[in-house]
Amino acid sequence: MRINTLEDLKYIRETGLKKLKPKQKVRISVGMATCGISVGGDAVFEELKEKLKNREDIILTKTGCIGFCHVEPLVNVYIPGKGILIYHHVQPKDVEKIINNLDKAEQLDNVVCQIDKWDHITSDEIIYGEGFTNIPCWNELKFFKPQRKLVMRNSGIINPEDIDEYIAVGGYSALFKALKEMTPDEIIYEVKGSGLRGRGGAGFPTGIKWELAKKEKSDIKYLICNADEGDPGAYMNRNEMESDPHSVIEGMIIGGYAIGAQKGIIYIRAEYPLALYRLQKAIDGARHYGLLGKNILGSGFDFDITISKGAGAFVCGEETALIASIEGDIGRPRPRPPFPAQKGLWGKPTNINNVETWTNIPLIVKKGGDWFRGFGNEKSPGTKVFSLVGKVENVGLAEVELGTPIKTVVYNIGGGASSGKKVKAVQTGGPSGGCIPTKFFDLPIDYENLASVGSIMGSGGMVAMDENTCMVDTAKFFLDFTVDESCGKCVPCREGLKHMLFILENITKGNGKEEDIGTLEELSETVKTTSLCGLGQTAPNPVITTLKYFKDEYIEHINNKRCPALVCTALIEFEIDQKKCTGCSVCAKRCPTKAIEGILGKGETFKIDQNKCIKCGTCLEVCKFDAVIKTSKGVSNG
Amino acid sequence: MDNEYIHVFINGQKFKAKEGELVIDIARRNGIFIPTLCYEESLKPYGACRMCIVEIKNKGVKKKITTSCTLQAFDGLYVKTDSNEVLKHRRILLELYLAQAPNPEKIKELAQRYGVKKTRFKEKYKEKDPLNNSCILCGLCVRVCNEIMGAGVIGFIGRGEKTRINTPFFEKSDLCLGCKACAEVCPTGAIKFIDEGNFRIANSWSNTSVELKKCKMCGKYFAPSKLDEKIDSIYYYRDKNNELRDLCPDCRRKVITKRINLITENEVEKYAK
Ligand SMILES: Cc1cc2nc3c(=O)[nH]c(=O)nc-3n(C[C@H](O)[C@H](O)[C@H](O)COP(=O)(O)O)c2cc1C
Ligand code: SF4
Ligand code: SF4
Ligand code: SF4
Ligand code: SF4
Ligand code: FES
Ligand code: FES
Repeated sequence: MRINTLEDLKYIRETGLKKLKPKQKVRISVGMATCGISVGGDAVFEELKEKLKNREDIILTKTGCIGFCHVEPLVNVYIPGKGILIYHHVQPKDVEKIINNLDKAEQLDNVVCQIDKWDHITSDEIIYGEGFTNIPCWNELKFFKPQRKLVMRNSGIINPEDIDEYIAVGGYSALFKALKEMTPDEIIYEVKGSGLRGRGGAGFPTGIKWELAKKEKSDIKYLICNADEGDPGAYMNRNEMESDPHSVIEGMIIGGYAIGAQKGIIYIRAEYPLALYRLQKAIDGARHYGLLGKNILGSGFDFDITISKGAGAFVCGEETALIASIEGDIGRPRPRPPFPAQKGLWGKPTNINNVETWTNIPLIVKKGGDWFRGFGNEKSPGTKVFSLVGKVENVGLAEVELGTPIKTVVYNIGGGASSGKKVKAVQTGGPSGGCIPTKFFDLPIDYENLASVGSIMGSGGMVAMDENTCMVDTAKFFLDFTVDESCGKCVPCREGLKHMLFILENITKGNGKEEDIGTLEELSETVKTTSLCGLGQTAPNPVITTLKYFKDEYIEHINNKRCPALVCTALIEFEIDQKKCTGCSVCAKRCPTKAIEGILGKGETFKIDQNKCIKCGTCLEVCKFDAVIKTSKGVSNG
Repeated sequence: MDNEYIHVFINGQKFKAKEGELVIDIARRNGIFIPTLCYEESLKPYGACRMCIVEIKNKGVKKKITTSCTLQAFDGLYVKTDSNEVLKHRRILLELYLAQAPNPEKIKELAQRYGVKKTRFKEKYKEKDPLNNSCILCGLCVRVCNEIMGAGVIGFIGRGEKTRINTPFFEKSDLCLGCKACAEVCPTGAIKFIDEGNFRIANSWSNTSVELKKCKMCGKYFAPSKLDEKIDSIYYYRDKNNELRDLCPDCRRKVITKRINLITENEVEKYAK
């Protein structure tokens, strides 16, 4: 059927609500975004399917990811009248227990929390039930408490493969409002007023970008969703597409109407098959209801979306390289001007926004720019999803209001260092971001503040580092990535980064020279200032910031040939503490190079032959008595 | 007010220009030197070599370094071509060039001009490099072959610091016209051709060979046949029956001189009468 009127929309909303909140039936949904699947969510789903074959009283569906990746696989169990319980670390063997104990579901030991009510924002708050009295509500958990879910408003609750459920929680009502009640200029006015800034990295005001694209006169205009997300370890966009694909599509249709584009293209990373599948399914669903295609909602507006698979290079996420890549050219950045808004895809005016930028649009249209400004801070309104990884306890996706201090994300949401050691820095913004030391952890996260300490917002990667992290090695690691991903067009990025990497490699091998620090500083400045595109312009950040905040570590490596964090293999040695050694000889048996000798039972005789040792670390791992220690010129972990 | 023109300031001097004109063009027209390694007026701006950087110093605008081959002029634009900042970066870029391609005259010349005596960076040396370790990947050859000659013989292979320029898969190409336009624009003289018998061989382009045309008079091989055909197809008005077409430049000169001589002799006779 086609949706044309408010009644049509309401009718489908009712249908969707019946699926989302069945009156008489239990609904079990398994967290099946890539993160959940990769730790066994699909096996749990299959097991449930098998066991529920003859159970008329239970509905089984998939859902996306609520962000709590640390404790996946997650299973939501909705019990009518009582609410939703979330179980963590569910294995196929737990399935039977869950489905056979529905009457005492809250007593099972792997309950994380309950969802009593949820604000999907585009609809009135939905009450799922308030019947579990002794279970903490989701937003009482330390991990969720500081979060504010605007972008992830539906993630991990609705079934992303069912358009009816999206409509049930108010989906496409913003589109309805936009097409039926607003002019393109009014929409742009709201988006401008909201202060929304591009979530793809540079933070350019979205409303102004739209205005520029709208102004251009042209027979054809394009609109692109940048879903090339190439930062290693970052997966916010993937999750947004896998968990709530319609929110991206609804945003794009509204954008198309506002700027006068007829065609939308989603440029998606080839490594994201599930996101691609769900987007395609969402597009098909939207077409079926007349939300894409000709005469959308009977308004006379035509718009359609196609998907284009990425070429697999990081730099293809840069907007001009992305356009070149869609045109079939090699993905290398082109000089700007002309900007895409003037001459973009096939020479036509083109508006590019990031996935997360698009998902914010329905909210702004539905609730207004002023409402949006109520979140975040003056210069950076709204929220941002961060993928929190590295050495914190709770890795996962965290959506917080911009302006939230770094420490809240690292300690409250992240739960501090997982190793029990101290966190010493966070690196934000993907491989081109800077490392921020703890002395700046009070800093509210926004575009300007991050830039002021030498980092960037980027697309929202956040890597925590603790005392076991060597900052020289970290800088080398990120540079290794950017050297590999430089397209090779311009000299500073192509040649300069390679020489920087080379110098860093020398330092970590103990071959650093005193003048290396100055050379690195100068070269970093030139690469940053003179590179053609954002890749080269930001790639030196990890080097610049570690040189600035952790210079002592560089000096230790260069002057004393010592790695204080005990990471750089060329600078460390393994030794046996003969006082602790019991002479069990396990290490000697496991050493791949037979570097350890000693007399069985006589701890005081065990020794490592440094000439034979290849520093694989096996001995340290296998010794039950902590007798093996790592040392580097006097520093040790013993 | 003059509506047609705007004014820009380069190193403090005021120049007339058209709105949107590239700063490099304005500078060149007025005899101001800005080093370039990847810019050609007849080709689209490319922005790869970064040598042409200038500093925008407009009041109220954050000062910024950008390439003059992509910078479009607006009224009141104020740039400096050799500010301290620009020179600092340009020198480091030259150090990078010296590590990549130390031998070409052009690179040495620029290094000398900017007082760069040696590079701190490790020299890159590629064994058996068809471009003789002289290519700086400015892309001019690729662009001239594509954009001007429409031949599309060569392209970029690989990415990042492993980028090379050559024919696809390093195989001989049958698209090459033998025009040598690539060698002509190459700033570093990296591209080598030799004429051997009735063939022109592009040593740098996987030994691609192109047949040469034989002069009807002296029998010497001269222009590539394919290039000749290409020119015919572009300049359709060329007189296909003109005997000069099949002569080498030397013989052509002889024939033309002879004709002129004949004419002059006739004229002389005419006046003598
Ligand atoms: C090397 C490089 C990689 C980029 N990768 C992405 C990406 O994966 N996704 C993205 O949205 N933007 C990426 N960008 C930023 C885009 O060029 C562009 O600014 C962005 O898509 C604009 O959307 P926004 O205004 O909504 O942020 C990248 C930029 C650079 C320089
Ligand atoms: S900065 Fe790097 S990625 Fe960007 S154009 Fe230059 S070489 Fe290519
Ligand atoms: S680090 Fe590896 S090679 Fe060295 S002594 Fe221990 S087990 Fe043997
Ligand atoms: S000689 Fe061949 S490769 Fe060079 S520009 Fe001419 S056609 Fe292209
Ligand atoms: S061969 Fe010459 S013209 Fe071609 S890219 Fe290299 S330096 Fe430039
Ligand atoms: S709970 Fe799924 S990505 Fe995290
Ligand atoms: S001449 Fe401007 S970048 Fe090369």
